[in-house]
Amino acid sequence: MSRRAKIAMFIVLGVVAAGLIYLRALGRRIFVETPLRVEQEARTKLSQVALQSQTGSTQTVMLYFPAYEQGMLVGEARQIGWASDDVDRVREVLLALIEGSHEGRARVVSPSASIRAVFLTTDGTAYVDLSSDAVSDFAPGIASETLAVYSIVDSLAANIPAVRRVKITVQGQEVDTLDGHADLTGTFVPDPARIAKAN
Amino acid sequence: MQAKLPETRLPRRSPKALLPILALIVGTFLLFWPARTLRSDNFVFYFPKERHIVRLEVIDGANYLPVLDVLNAVGKLSGFEEKRNSAVVWFGGSGLQLKKGDKKVKVDKRTWNLLHPVRVSNGQWMVPTDFLSSVLPEVIHQRVAYELGEKRAFIGDVKPVTFTADLEPVPNGVRLTLQFTSPVTVRTASQNGKWVVFLGDEPFEAPAHALRLQNPYLSALQFDDQDGVPKLLLTPGADGLNFYPTQSGRSKFIVEVAKPAPKLAQLPATGAAPSAAQLPAPPVPPVPPSLPAVVLDPGHGGGDPGARSRDGLVEKDVVAAWGERVRAALVATNKYRIIVTRSGDTDPGFDERAGIANDARPVAFLSLHAGNLGSKLPQLAVYTYLPSSLTEGSQETGAAMTHSGVADGRFVLLPWNELQMAHVDRSRRFAQALERQFANISGLTTSGGSVEAPVRALRNIDAPAAAVEIGSFASDVDARPLTNGTLQDQIAGAIVRALDAFLGGQG
Repeated sequence: MSRRAKIAMFIVLGVVAAGLIYLRALGRRIFVETPLRVEQEARTKLSQVALQSQTGSTQTVMLYFPAYEQGMLVGEARQIGWASDDVDRVREVLLALIEGSHEGRARVVSPSASIRAVFLTTDGTAYVDLSSDAVSDFAPGIASETLAVYSIVDSLAANIPAVRRVKITVQGQEVDTLDGHADLTGTFVPDPARIAKAN
Repeated sequence: MQAKLPETRLPRRSPKALLPILALIVGTFLLFWPARTLRSDNFVFYFPKERHIVRLEVIDGANYLPVLDVLNAVGKLSGFEEKRNSAVVWFGGSGLQLKKGDKKVKVDKRTWNLLHPVRVSNGQWMVPTDFLSSVLPEVIHQRVAYELGEKRAFIGDVKPVTFTADLEPVPNGVRLTLQFTSPVTVRTASQNGKWVVFLGDEPFEAPAHALRLQNPYLSALQFDDQDGVPKLLLTPGADGLNFYPTQSGRSKFIVEVAKPAPKLAQLPATGAAPSAAQLPAPPVPPVPPSLPAVVLDPGHGGGDPGARSRDGLVEKDVVAAWGERVRAALVATNKYRIIVTRSGDTDPGFDERAGIANDARPVAFLSLHAGNLGSKLPQLAVYTYLPSSLTEGSQETGAAMTHSGVADGRFVLLPWNELQMAHVDRSRRFAQALERQFANISGLTTSGGSVEAPVRALRNIDAPAAAVEIGSFASDVDARPLTNGTLQDQIAGAIVRALDAFLGGQG
């Protein structure tokens, strides 16, 4: 075999091998989702921390957490960093919800969840894309999932007037349910009737 | 004098170097090439006194049989010679010549054209099934009765039995009469929720496709002999029906499928036993055209366990057991046809469950769940569907669509995802009836009114629908009392009463 032929053969073999490795990696990305701690999510977390720490002003917001005993949402006031932009405000409210209740209320989403993306359209629809571990520590059920969804929707709408409805996606995709019960295919409008009246 | 130009040496191509590359490319290509054999099945050869089963393969949409197995089944091979792309099979002095990929088959000097080419699958020479009606009779010198598309052939002097089926209504049931063309000894059994009528040892000829019957008592009738045993599979139209087989003569078989006979009302004790003449004649209920269907939907199942309690209880198991009690309670009323969306530990998808429910055109649909309802136990919450996409605009659109469909009396096609929208009011009434009955169970905490929630299980249901969630599966609660049979029976009874009240109230 001539030297040139050998070189050509090695190049072709290399290209084919690289192609096969790429196909395998692509297959894994498509069929075997590896949701946790990929670089993108790590960056998202870092940007969230930066968002919280670098905003100048603060604001007292009302966050709504589930109270299963009553089957309602209960308000909890909290002072958080307040950005000038509505999209960043959506992020800030969501981060506060992820942080959890300071008064021992139930969790809305897992503390390991990250906000992958937020969009706010001119018609007032906030698109909230959560990571797939949002429900990892979550107890599924009709009541728990419904309250979790409205906890997000009502908290956003109550504090950011530009938000008129919310669409929740997970890992960049529309999902059928949050965790087997609550229908997430639609867009949710705020429902103040789910908030318990303060005593 | 001409100057001699220096000799330019052209690079030589090395064919040997290209071989491994070519092999690699072909190998990669073959790796992604879909398998040609799609599925395999059985083919039955009936002889006057015996039968043989041969594997049937479907290749590229055509039925194929292994030629050696076929010839071994019908006689004795005397030789087989195989070359790279051809083969010769010797059978009873005849030589059968086959060529891979060729539709032509030669027997001695005669040639037949088959409908599909001869193939080699897993090292076996395969011929399409039309080989049985064209080539085989010439080779074995016997009569071969085979109809293209069927999965059975009759070799030699075999007269297959056929039958006619007649369906007629009887009070509270239906009678199926099977009239055979020859005497048949029948035996019955129950397997996997179906009744099986074994048709003895005679060869049978019947359509392989199931007959779907529009009957509330008997929904399907299917002939099957794929394991070499001819039998009829009868699918009941609902759970809890009784099956009464009777052999009438040697060629007739009658099956009655009926609801369990209602118990006679207990007579007041008067001291003396009443004579037969004094006994009131049992009321003969009119034969209903069809019992109203109620669909029960135990949530989750299979690989989807649903919620888990602190004690390891799993939602799918709790609701399956509870659903069975509700089903039994509803069956005992003799008023409803009960359809359950999942049997055993399976997990049909939401759309599949909705399809099962909507096909039955039910009067009510009830989805059963268990979850976290707080620290009180036992608790029940009743839900109706709140379309999650109710934006200001779509709310109006949805209402208009439903309204126009009903008020104008026009036939309106509703989107699959909005089917429940047309039943919102009646679903609320159903949920309220449930809530009222649950509130009467002592010791049980209820949500104090039905709740609207985006319950996915209800979205595509074309009937009044509600979901009931039992709890609590909270992390600080011992959920084991939820598996208590008495509690589940109480809830089942309340569901029956709620259904009666709801259906009675809606006129």
